Amino acid sequence: MHDQPLLDVSNLTVNLLTAKSAVCPVDGVSYSVRQGECLAIVGESGSGKTVMNFAPLGLMPTGVTTMLSGSVKLEGRELIGLPETEIQKLRGKSVGFIFQDPMSALNPVRRIGRQIAEMAELHLNLTPRAAEARALELVKLVGISDPAARLRQYPHELSGGLRQRIVIAIALAGEPKLLIADEPTTALDVTVQAQILRLLKDVQRRLNMAMVLITHDMGVVAGAADNIVVMYAARAAECGPVDKVLVSPRHPYTRGLINAIPRREDPIGSEFRGLPGIPPTLGAPIRGCALAPRCELAVPACGNSRPPLVRSDDSAVLVACPVVNQGKAAA
Amino acid sequence: MTQAPVLKVENLQTRFKSVQRGKYVHAVDDVSIELYPGEIVGLVGESGCGKSTLGRTIVGLEKATSGRVLLDGVDLTTLSGAALRDSRRALQYVFQDPYSSLNDRQTVGEAIDEALVIAGTRSPEERDRRTKELLDQVGLASAVRDRHTRELSGGQRQRVAIARSLAVNPRVLICDEPVSALDLSIRAQVMNLFLRLQKDLGVACLFIAHDLALVRQAASRVYVMYLGKIVEHGSSRELYDHPSHPYSQMLLASAPEVDPRIEKNRRGPLMIGEVPSPTNPPSGCRFRTRCPLAVDDCAKAMPPSRVLSPEHTAACTFAADLHRGKRSALLQQEVSAA
Ligand SMILES: Nc1ncnc2c1ncn2[C@@H]1O[C@H](COP(=O)(O)OP(=O)(O)OP(=O)(O)O)[C@@H](O)[C@H]1O
Ligand SMILES: Nc1ncnc2c1ncn2[C@@H]1O[C@H](COP(=O)(O)OP(=O)(O)O)[C@@H](O)[C@H]1O
Ligand code: SF4
Ligand code: SF4
Ligand SMILES: [Mg+2]
Ligand SMILES: [Mg+2]
Repeated sequence: MHDQPLLDVSNLTVNLLTAKSAVCPVDGVSYSVRQGECLAIVGESGSGKTVMNFAPLGLMPTGVTTMLSGSVKLEGRELIGLPETEIQKLRGKSVGFIFQDPMSALNPVRRIGRQIAEMAELHLNLTPRAAEARALELVKLVGISDPAARLRQYPHELSGGLRQRIVIAIALAGEPKLLIADEPTTALDVTVQAQILRLLKDVQRRLNMAMVLITHDMGVVAGAADNIVVMYAARAAECGPVDKVLVSPRHPYTRGLINAIPRREDPIGSEFRGLPGIPPTLGAPIRGCALAPRCELAVPACGNSRPPLVRSDDSAVLVACPVVNQGKAAA
Repeated sequence: MTQAPVLKVENLQTRFKSVQRGKYVHAVDDVSIELYPGEIVGLVGESGCGKSTLGRTIVGLEKATSGRVLLDGVDLTTLSGAALRDSRRALQYVFQDPYSSLNDRQTVGEAIDEALVIAGTRSPEERDRRTKELLDQVGLASAVRDRHTRELSGGQRQRVAIARSLAVNPRVLICDEPVSALDLSIRAQVMNLFLRLQKDLGVACLFIAHDLALVRQAASRVYVMYLGKIVEHGSSRELYDHPSHPYSQMLLASAPEVDPRIEKNRRGPLMIGEVPSPTNPPSGCRFRTRCPLAVDDCAKAMPPSRVLSPEHTAACTFAADLHRGKRSALLQQEVSAA
């Protein structure tokens, strides 16, 4: 049981069709997360992070037709093709969520305590009374002082950090085995971000949950995650253990991202490092490597076919760049 | 510095009416700052500390309750009508959100042309020439000119917004989190644009940001703001190497490291809680409710600003000790947490 991943995603592709457009925001991505493990998914805006995690759970806005292919297994059970009624049973129960927009998760006109208790009632079949007690426990778990008083408040009465703690409490109400946190600290100050990350790590350990942490901030990854998937333009560019990928990145995009972070030794007034150009739009299919127009290692062959994600010179790290991978073969 | 400051803000105060009757939001309280020609100066602090309100008051988007804003020695708070409008042009504001600051229906060319018209450039030929020049200055290809702003990426839109603010040949740019909404791989491009504008055009820039690493690299000096007040000011080198206010120390220590070997072993301090409401700021030192070094006296009176070196001041009773590395807000907290 322990060596079977809790979440096993393989070759997942998502196509979204609206009245006006068709995009492919997730293009053949594979990864897995084990119990007690945290996987970070990193990539820039529009690279497909949110869609990849939420589309298989039936969480896409109305007005979009979602087409899924590949496989997403939760505790060995295939989610793709599962009827909506079955998927609905998983949401909030086996899988807890923290959505990117912090306010959307809370109902502005209901007291905090009710909102948490409702989730517990729904997913754990508790009596209203037991659910109230559970709400109090959860509010304590997320480190809120004076919990009984907080339960009577409304969302707008709380600061950003406290609100995010409540959102976490709600996500944990169904005792999920997997927590998907979409940019849980992006709207917060670094000072509060540090508090919330520490809290997430702490509850993840205590409840022995699996966690998927979606972020665009490498600093968030370093402290919290065990493994990382770096996304670029709907595809995985590199994945592996964070101690390896962040310390010696291999894919030119990962290298560019990490290199772009200002360092203390950079002289004051010196040029900022970054990647040239801009990411592609996902409307038209990309034939070769999506990074080619921005990549300093690109060779003509990079435009021909999509580079597969394969083992690099370190067998724990997968890299989708033949130029980098062949460099290893030559060396 | 021997030059005169291009912008001097003296004892500026901006208050808003609070939702609590009879009370005020003390967003900016007795702030004095200076900007010299051609320098980039950072303004950092957590959200809600009053950074945007300070910037908006300087350019006249908010009304100061008291205090003076001097541009080249002329007090803008005493001007009105045409004289004020002319002076204000020299001060331009660059907004955080490159998506809402432009009109979607305009092409890039139209957006810049409009700014030139507002700036009083009458001749269409002259505007055409300037539009080309501005596109070039902000690093946009001339082909972009006919595209609608809505078709552009965030980084490109931010460049158009900057081109518009440069249309009036400003002396000072107030940049409010100008790259926060941009992706990391694009951020460097826009930051380098600011460095270039400063060098080539001599524009002075007040750079508001919460990303401390970004500010360190771009700015020669930095102001740290907390709950409406400047609590520390110094050259970037001094401030980052010897932060001397507990708030600055903790702010710097909160920024995460990218190296997991360092980040995972970090035990240490976390900033407690969040910024209190500026409607009822704490008495005495405003940081005292979160300060691990606070003593009883901190509640009694606002600590005066202490001069630590010619270009470094901090408003804390223990600033001199902290500057010498004697007492640290960080160590203190580890002890009390244990
Ligand atoms: N409801 C929708 N209708 C149409 N296209 C969509 C919809 N939601 C997302 N997309 C498109 O799918 C792609 C991936 O979007 P997604 O939200 O997953 O990105 P992301 O990596 O989470 O970005 P961010 O960091 O900005 O949250 C984008 O091109 C986006 O425009
Ligand atoms: N127009 C306004 N009316 C009332 N309060 C305001 C207004 N603008 C800002 N504030 C308040 O002033 C304080 C400082 O805000 P702001 O200058 O936006 O901070 P920062 O830019 O540092 O995040 C905050 O408490 C904010 O809610
Ligand atoms: S495949 Fe080519 S273009 Fe893509 S990352 Fe590797 S070298 Fe660069
Ligand atoms: S004056 Fe007191 S409360 Fe304020 S920062 Fe210094 S030690 Fe802390
Ligand atoms: Mg997203
Ligand atoms: Mg602001």
